[in-house]
Amino acid sequence: MAIEQLLKNYIPNENTWDEMYDSKSIRRQYGGVFSTLEKLDVENLSNKHRLAGELFMNQGITFTVYNNNEGIERIFPFDIIPRIITGEEWDNLEKGIGQRLKALNMFLRDIYHEQQILNDGVIPAELIASCPDYTREAFGINVPYDIYVHISGIDLIRGADGKFYILEDNLRTPSGVSYMLENREVTKRIFPDMLSRSNVRSVSNYPVLLHEILLELASAQVSKPYIVILTPGIYNSAYYEHTFLARQMGVDLVEGRDLVVDNHKVYTKTTNGLKQVHVIYRRVDDSFLDPLAFKQDSVLGVPGLLSAYRRGNVAIVNAVGNGVADDKAVYTYVPDMIRYYLNEEPILDNVPTYQLSDPDAMQYVFENVRNMVIKNTNQSGGYGMVMGSTISEEEWSKARKEIEKSPRNYIAQPIIQLSTVPCFIDGKIQPRHVDLRPYALYGPSGTKLVPGGLTRVALKEGSLVVNSSQGGGSKDTWIIDTL
Amino acid sequence: MLSRIADSMFWMNRYMERVRSILRVARTHYIISLDRDVKGASWKSILEIFTLLEEKEIKELEGQTGKILQYLLTASENENSVKSLVSKARENARGIQDNITKELWEEVNSFYHVTNQPHLNHKLTGPDTLDVIDLFMRHSIICSGISDITMQRGTGWDIMKLGKYMERCMETLILTDKHCEFFQYELEKERDITQWRFLLLSLSGYEAYLKSYRTFKHNQNVMHQVLFNEDFPHSVSYSLNMLDKCLSKLIVGNKNPEIPDLIRTFGKLHAKIKYLDPSIICHMDLQTFFMEMRTDMKILHAKQSNIFFSY
Repeated sequence: MAIEQLLKNYIPNENTWDEMYDSKSIRRQYGGVFSTLEKLDVENLSNKHRLAGELFMNQGITFTVYNNNEGIERIFPFDIIPRIITGEEWDNLEKGIGQRLKALNMFLRDIYHEQQILNDGVIPAELIASCPDYTREAFGINVPYDIYVHISGIDLIRGADGKFYILEDNLRTPSGVSYMLENREVTKRIFPDMLSRSNVRSVSNYPVLLHEILLELASAQVSKPYIVILTPGIYNSAYYEHTFLARQMGVDLVEGRDLVVDNHKVYTKTTNGLKQVHVIYRRVDDSFLDPLAFKQDSVLGVPGLLSAYRRGNVAIVNAVGNGVADDKAVYTYVPDMIRYYLNEEPILDNVPTYQLSDPDAMQYVFENVRNMVIKNTNQSGGYGMVMGSTISEEEWSKARKEIEKSPRNYIAQPIIQLSTVPCFIDGKIQPRHVDLRPYALYGPSGTKLVPGGLTRVALKEGSLVVNSSQGGGSKDTWIIDTL
Repeated sequence: MLSRIADSMFWMNRYMERVRSILRVARTHYIISLDRDVKGASWKSILEIFTLLEEKEIKELEGQTGKILQYLLTASENENSVKSLVSKARENARGIQDNITKELWEEVNSFYHVTNQPHLNHKLTGPDTLDVIDLFMRHSIICSGISDITMQRGTGWDIMKLGKYMERCMETLILTDKHCEFFQYELEKERDITQWRFLLLSLSGYEAYLKSYRTFKHNQNVMHQVLFNEDFPHSVSYSLNMLDKCLSKLIVGNKNPEIPDLIRTFGKLHAKIKYLDPSIICHMDLQTFFMEMRTDMKILHAKQSNIFFSY
C-alpha cells in the first residue's frame, strides 16, 4: 500500500495536540518529512524499520531478558519517523530550562549551607526534613563553582493547548542520552536524504561538551586531570550508555572495585600501580556511592569516597545530595525558587500538582481521582503510579489506603493528554503519545542544551505511559530551523 | 591501564583463541572422519581435550558425530563449547567496550548472536555441518583481523597478545601431547605422514610442513615444526617468543616487587625450548616433557595474573 493512503487514514485523537496535523492541514515543520513519506510504500518503511532494529542489535544496544536460564537480547523499541520541534519552540525551551537549572543549583547550594529559603518560609522546612533524598552527609560540602546539577534530563510534555510543561526534574543520574545520539545515527542510515534536506540542528557534540565540563571541574592545580566514569557494572540497564560515553570522551570506565581511597584521595588500580582520579562522573546512586557513609552493604561504591569529596580532592558529577531537588513534592516549589533566587517569572510552567500531605488537596484529588494521576514521590520509571482513568475500584481502594497511611509520599497531577506524533506501527501510520527529555549541561561557563533530546513514545494505542520499563519506545528528535 | 580492564582483555582474547582452536580441530576431525581407516585421532581424544566429560559420558557420545559437534560447538551446558566461550568473550568485551574499538565490539557481539541462532544447532547433525563450522570460523577470523587492524598498540594490545599466545602455546602443547600419547610416546619408530596429518591440520600447519620439510623423517620434522620452528605461528617456540616480547614491554616502568620472579619463571620456561637440541626430541621422555611444560605454563599464568590483574 502507498504511504499516501496511510497518511490519509491518519486520524489524530480528539482533544489532543497532534504535532504533525493541526485541525486542517500538515504543520509547516512536518512538510519535508510528510513529502518524503508520501513517496515511499509500506514495504519500504518496513525494511527501514527492520534495518533500524538490526543496527541496534549489532551494536549491542540491547537489554537481556532471561528465560529458562537462557539470556535473550532485546532492543528498546525505536520508531523510525522523527519527531519534529521548531527552532523557535526550542529556543524558548532552552531559556526556560536554563532559568530552571540556575534556580535549582542555587537551591541546592542554599539547602546544604545556609538554608535561607527555609528561614524565609518559601519552602516549608518540614517538607525538606521529611524528604528521604535530603542527604545530611552532604551538608557543608563545597563543590567546584557551586555547581550541583552538571547533567540533567528534565522531562517535558506538551498539553492539549500546544504548550510545553515541565513534568519532572531528573537531577541525579539521568539516562537516555546515548539513545538520543544513537537514534540520530540510525536515522542517518535509514533517511539520509530527508535528514540532510531538513536543516536539522546537530546533537553530535554532546560528548565533547560534557568532556569540557568535566575537565573544568578538576582542580586548577592539575594540568592533566584524570577523569573516570563510575558504572555499577555490565548488568546495569544503562551500561551501554556508560560505555558509549566513556568511548566518546576517551575516559576510563571504572567500577567501584577499580577504585581505592588512600589518605582522602581516590585512585584507580592499574597494571602499573595506583593512579589518582580528579573527576568522577558517577552513574551510581548516592546511597551506593560509599559504604562508609551510606548503605553499608554496597559493593558498587568506594569506601571513603565521601571523605575525599568533602576535602575537595575529587569532584563528583552530579553532586551528592541532588535528590532533594528533584523530589516530586519539592517539584511544586520550583516556580517559587525561580522567583525567590532569580526574581524572575518562570518561563516554563509546571504541571499543576497537588501535595497529598495537604488534607484539602487530598480530598479534592480523591473526589476527582478519575481525572488524576497519582505518583509516589520516592519512585520513578512509571513505578508506583496510579492512573485514575484506568484503575479498577478494587485497586483504587487498596491504593487509597496506602496513600492515607503516608500522604507525604504522594503527589497528584491532572491527567494531561500528551501530544501525539505519527508512528509506524504494524504497517500503519498511527498517532501515539510522547514526552521529551532534553539533556542540559551546566558548567562554569553556563548552561548548554543539546538541540534534540530523547522523545519517549507510548507504543500502546491510547497509553500515556512512555517509560521504557513500561513498554515505551523512543524516536529521533529533530530541531528544525524552518526557512 | 586498569587491572580489571587488563584482565578482561586477556580473557577475551584467550577465549577467542580457544574458539579458533576448537573450530580448527573439529573441522579437521570431521573431514578426516569421513574417510575410512584414518589413524591419528578419535572424537574420544578431542572430547578429552576440550570438555570435562567423564569417560562414561564420552563413551555414550562416541560414534554420534552430530551430537559430539553440537556438544563442542553449540551446547550451553558445555562450559567450553564455542557458544559458551564466545558468550564469555562477549561478556568480557562488554565490560571493556570503551577500551576496544567499536568495530571489534560489534564483531564479537555479532559472533555471539550468530552462535545463539537455534537453527544452526540442528544443522550440525545434517549435511550442512561444514557450513556451520565455516560460518563460526569466518567470524572468529574476522574478529582476529579486526582486532589486528583497528586496535591501538600499547598496554592493552600487549595484554591481549599475552592471552592469545598463552592459550595458543597451551593448545599446541596439549594437542601434540595427546597425539604423542596415541603413539604411546614412541617416536623412535618412524611414522607415516598421514598419521601426523590430523595434528598438522589442526594447527593450520600441514601445507607449511609440506613446503618446509623435504625429508621423510616425519617424527623429527613434525616435532620440529610444532615445537621449535620460529616461523610457524602455531609452534610453541613462536608463542613463547611472542610472550617474551609482550612481557618485556609490559614490565617497563612497573615497580611491582614480584616482577623479577615473573621474569625468572618465564626465562626458565622459554629456555626449555630455546636451548633444547631438536635432534634429541624423539628420544626424550616426552610424556614428562609435556607435563612439565604445561605445569610451567600454569605457574606463569598464575604469576602474571597476580601482577597485572590483582584488583
